[in-house]
Amino acid sequence: MTWLQHLTDELTARGIRGQDRRRIVSELRDHIACEPESVERLGDPTELAGIFADELATSRTRRAAWHAFAALSTAAAVLVSSQIALAHAGGYPGFNHGLSLALFLPALVGMLIAPQVALVSGTLAVARTLRRRRLSRMPAAEIGLVERRTRVALGAGFATIGGLEIYVLNFSARLPAWWLGTVGGLGLAAGAALVWATRSLAGARTLVSATPGGAGDIYDDLPAIGFSWLRGSTWRLGALASVLVAALMTAFEAHAERSLAEGVQRGIVEGVAAAIGFALLGRMIGVASPARRQARRAVVSSALDSVLGALPGPAGHRVGDAERDHAEHVVRASYAEGRLALEELSARIEAIHAARTLGELRATVADLPDVL
Amino acid sequence: MILATLLDDPAHGYAILARLRERSSGTFDLAEGTIYPALHRLERDGLLSSSWSSESGRRRRVYELTRRGRAALQERRQEWRHFSRAVEAVLG
Repeated sequence: MTWLQHLTDELTARGIRGQDRRRIVSELRDHIACEPESVERLGDPTELAGIFADELATSRTRRAAWHAFAALSTAAAVLVSSQIALAHAGGYPGFNHGLSLALFLPALVGMLIAPQVALVSGTLAVARTLRRRRLSRMPAAEIGLVERRTRVALGAGFATIGGLEIYVLNFSARLPAWWLGTVGGLGLAAGAALVWATRSLAGARTLVSATPGGAGDIYDDLPAIGFSWLRGSTWRLGALASVLVAALMTAFEAHAERSLAEGVQRGIVEGVAAAIGFALLGRMIGVASPARRQARRAVVSSALDSVLGALPGPAGHRVGDAERDHAEHVVRASYAEGRLALEELSARIEAIHAARTLGELRATVADLPDVL
Repeated sequence: MILATLLDDPAHGYAILARLRERSSGTFDLAEGTIYPALHRLERDGLLSSSWSSESGRRRRVYELTRRGRAALQERRQEWRHFSRAVEAVLG
């Protein structure tokens, strides 16, 4: 088998097809044609295909998350403007004035619950790609997490648009034709944008990435400072978030309806819905993952033990050059693998040399999984 | 370094590699194939642009610097000069 054939097969195996594969293969064919002996120096085709696939998967997934975010923003704009326009269309007809309650209820779920799921999941997806924007190869597990978040967000986006269309249908006899036509049409346009984003995600998902490393968790999305007391229990975080949205909803509705009782009632419903959403989807979108986090901690600490194991000791013990060299090696290996940006590398190395205790030293390598 | 080889005129993968080898007098010895993922990445980042050309009878992808690529090269050069001056000062 020729080198080029081998490369073609490896690219196919990693999900690189069509135009992308043709381009890579013909560039390398030209390379070999320029100097036939250079084939010896091109390197291992398996490894090369792996680099292509890992980098392409990273950039396509990142792009898909942003495409989804753009499409969801369109859907949100349609939803919000439909409700604003409602005031000019004679106002909300009331739930018992539609065609059927069987239409009203799914419309309500789609228009109230689904957008919130889409907002949280879609924002988390782009938040992670922003945090990792300097990485040319995100760990495969992390790519999977961004893809799941994007998928959940898009699913919720479709539910939102579906709900809106059902709403249009339900009140087709009550609301003016201009409102029904405009909202129905814009809803379809937003649906088309969602289909486009879904195709972008599907394109990213065909690529097989194999970059080692962990998926990270919700604490990788939140700013590091101020959230440390929430570490260790994502359930505490979920409860706090639910209470927070319940309080916000209470304040908002109490103001909008000019009735505290009404506000509290809706706030409670909102809080319960948020808690249910957290319980159902939390694990999938990498928000609730106590088990995985503990597992990762165990891996990191056992790996650290093996690295720093030459001179194990409590966190307060003073460090020597041997441990510093070990830690520096770990950080440099991570940089080589694209886990750290150059600025981060120098910051970490500074921190390593400034570390006086084992605890301080461990902190400089604690978030670098699998490299040891 | 890839960017620097493209400063004066556009080139295809093999020529870029040849320039790198020539300018570094063979110091940088790496798996040559890895230049292509690097070129593709720089293109995705908007630092390079590329197009097919069939000048010499062969279809080849020719890369050239974009405006952003030029700016990035300038910036990296400066960073590197800074750094190497500092190292030199320490090593004496």
